[in-house]
Amino acid sequence: MAQSGVTVSIEAVHENQIQEVSLDGHETVIPPLSMSECLAKSAQKIDFGEEDEGIEGKQTSEEGTTEKEESAFQPSLWPWDSVRNKLKTSLTEIGVLLDVLNIAKEKKYMAIVQVQQDTSEPKSALQLLAKKKAISLQSICGGLNTAASVLISGAERLKRSQEEKGGVSSHDKFHIELLKLRQNWRLKKVGNSIIGDLSYRSAGSRFWQGGTFEVTKTTSLPSDQEGSTAQQYPLQVVIPSELEGSSYLQLEIKSVPDSMDLMSVTLQVPDGFGRTPLNAHWQSRLDTAQNVLFCKELFAQLAREAVQLKSNVPHVVVSNQIITNIFPGVQLSIVLCHSTGKGDKKTGPHSGKMDHKHVLEHSLHQLLREVHHRTLHLAAPHPVTAPFGMSKRRRLAGPTAMSRSDLKEMSDRSGETLLEQIIKQARHEVLRQRTMSVIDRLAGEIPDPQIMAHWSCLNSPLQSNVKIIITSNGYEGMRVTWQSLDLEIGVDGILVTTKDRRTLKLSFQEKEVEDIIRWQVSQHHIALSQNLARLIGWQVLSYNGCSGVGEMEGFACASSIQLVAPNNDRMLSVRSGPTSGLHVFLKIDSSGNLDPSLSSLVDPKWLNLGGTFRELDLEQIEGRNLATKLELIMAMVNKKR
Amino acid sequence: MGVVCVYTFPVPEGKSGQQVVDSLQRQLELLGAVKTANFSVDCETYQSNNPTGAAQRILHVLHNSEQPASCFAILDNGTTLVADVLFEVLVAKLTQSKSGKDGYYERRKGLKIESKGPRFELSDFIVKIGSVSMASNFKGILVEVEYCPCAIPGECWELMKEMMQSFMGTVVENPPMAVKNKKDQFYTPSDTVAQYLEHFNNFRKAVVNQSPR
Repeated sequence: MAQSGVTVSIEAVHENQIQEVSLDGHETVIPPLSMSECLAKSAQKIDFGEEDEGIEGKQTSEEGTTEKEESAFQPSLWPWDSVRNKLKTSLTEIGVLLDVLNIAKEKKYMAIVQVQQDTSEPKSALQLLAKKKAISLQSICGGLNTAASVLISGAERLKRSQEEKGGVSSHDKFHIELLKLRQNWRLKKVGNSIIGDLSYRSAGSRFWQGGTFEVTKTTSLPSDQEGSTAQQYPLQVVIPSELEGSSYLQLEIKSVPDSMDLMSVTLQVPDGFGRTPLNAHWQSRLDTAQNVLFCKELFAQLAREAVQLKSNVPHVVVSNQIITNIFPGVQLSIVLCHSTGKGDKKTGPHSGKMDHKHVLEHSLHQLLREVHHRTLHLAAPHPVTAPFGMSKRRRLAGPTAMSRSDLKEMSDRSGETLLEQIIKQARHEVLRQRTMSVIDRLAGEIPDPQIMAHWSCLNSPLQSNVKIIITSNGYEGMRVTWQSLDLEIGVDGILVTTKDRRTLKLSFQEKEVEDIIRWQVSQHHIALSQNLARLIGWQVLSYNGCSGVGEMEGFACASSIQLVAPNNDRMLSVRSGPTSGLHVFLKIDSSGNLDPSLSSLVDPKWLNLGGTFRELDLEQIEGRNLATKLELIMAMVNKKR
Repeated sequence: MGVVCVYTFPVPEGKSGQQVVDSLQRQLELLGAVKTANFSVDCETYQSNNPTGAAQRILHVLHNSEQPASCFAILDNGTTLVADVLFEVLVAKLTQSKSGKDGYYERRKGLKIESKGPRFELSDFIVKIGSVSMASNFKGILVEVEYCPCAIPGECWELMKEMMQSFMGTVVENPPMAVKNKKDQFYTPSDTVAQYLEHFNNFRKAVVNQSPR
């Protein structure tokens, strides 16, 4: 039966899956997928990431449909999310590609330029790396080198010590030197090091600065540069830096016309002094260091006393000098000269001689040593447990019932400071020098009587004695004619004792000594004349030790004598004064002029009342000194007529 | 050390010691003396403690301000010791009673006597006017005159007598015993102290004599 238009419809079999069958027979059918759902399902099957495998993926997707259907029921993601993301990324990439193409084509804003460094970049990295490696290699090399050198030197040392045949090894040498060192210095071991003491503490010093030195073994190898003359000691001493170099105390006395002369006392340390080389023997180095310490202590004590002492004359302390006036116009300066020995080699200008008083410097050293001694040693007897106490004199003061004035004097004398003592010694030194120079000068200037000075060989730093004897040459046998003078030179002045035991006190002026000697010279002339007259036979009419007539002398007084010949016809008058000099007058009587007829009336002795004195020119008369001249005069004049 | 003479100056009835001292002082100042300082001489007495009952010895310890470093110890028989002032410490130790036993010496209390007053200097002379007191009771006046340049009493006694008589009057007639005995020997400070001790003993005896009255 063919009818017109038979509709043939093709329908899918409504074979939907039955989800569940309820108990009442009702079937719950899973609704069939809508068209969008079907498409989503299919789209999910497509894997855009894998191009080649996409087809395969499709093929396998039909097999995995059921699995995918189950995954489609996952509620979290929107099914097109991954698709969207993938499409976005592909869009971005295509946009970039488009931009690049545009840039390449249009060249308006950007242009593609060949980058040249691209090739080198990989190369510099390599270079840096290489450099680093080289540096590290170098440092390692260097480190290894030093290590090698240390090891080699150590090995050499060991080899040397092993090699020494016979003889003492250096280790033993060190100990032998150490033994010698211990014989002279105090050492003690502190930890790993050996420390010594070079201060005077054990000798009684109380100085704040201590000197400790360290003893070390010589570790450095003998260097060939210094030559074979430099001796290598197994022992080295390390001296504290403030005691390096050497120092000495310089004492100078000079006369300044006005007040103190502060400017001229500048340090004039002779250069090249105080440079003990480092490899000098340890004994000399320690000695100089100890000397430095001693000088420091000495100067510190003097400076402290100079500041604290209350005296009439102010003492000036300027850095390393102490200046004071010991007499008006005479200045004493004490300078501490310390050269560290590290200075440059240029020599300073040596303006003027340095007039050190070495004896006084030595005396300063002795005084400080005495102070040290006194702190340690107390006069016996005292118990061993009492190291300090009274002096012997004070201890005896009780039993000897010393009065208050005695005690006061004792305390004054024992409390003398170092500065006072040295000033006293300096004053005495000045006085003695001056007296010496005056006597010597006068002995040269005055030819007529001889001036002899006998200095006592027993002196003390504060007192000297001298005996001055004035005689005439050739007539020393006549002891009576001698004029002698005793001078006792003390600290402040001079005590003069004349022949007739008169005492005079002189001050420090040089002129006073000169005056006294000149006066004694004039006295000698007259005494000589007197004795000569006695010997020859002339008679002394008058002797005047201190004549008040005639011109006045500048100082002291003149003396005169009148002598008359044995036959009474000649008269000599001698007058001698310290400033007016020596004058000899002669009077010859005029008996020859008398009328011979009168001579029987008049006694000859009255004849010599008249006549005038006439001065004799002593220069013309032969003779070495007054004695010979007078003798000649008297002999000539006395000639028998 | 010169020669020293110590005399008691009598205090007339009715006058106080201070008045006499003042008058003497005025006289000296008229002579031209200059007051230099004060002086003091004191004496303490110790008695020995002999447990066996042997004779008791008396020890006097004196100080003189003229010899400040010394201490004088005089026994009853006249033996004198001149020592440092630390001797007092030794005596104190001897006086101490230790571990139950009594000390060797015992201090006699109430017998400390001293002479204090001004000291004048008149060129070569030193004159001291001392008021003697025992336990703050005034006992009398002691005048001491020292002539410094000479140390032998025989040679200067006459001069001293004349000088003393000028302000003390007839009190001074005979030299003190210590001076008389040593006419030709050197005079020592212990002699001065002996003189003082004699006077002190007299003063003490005078008290004893007067007290029963």
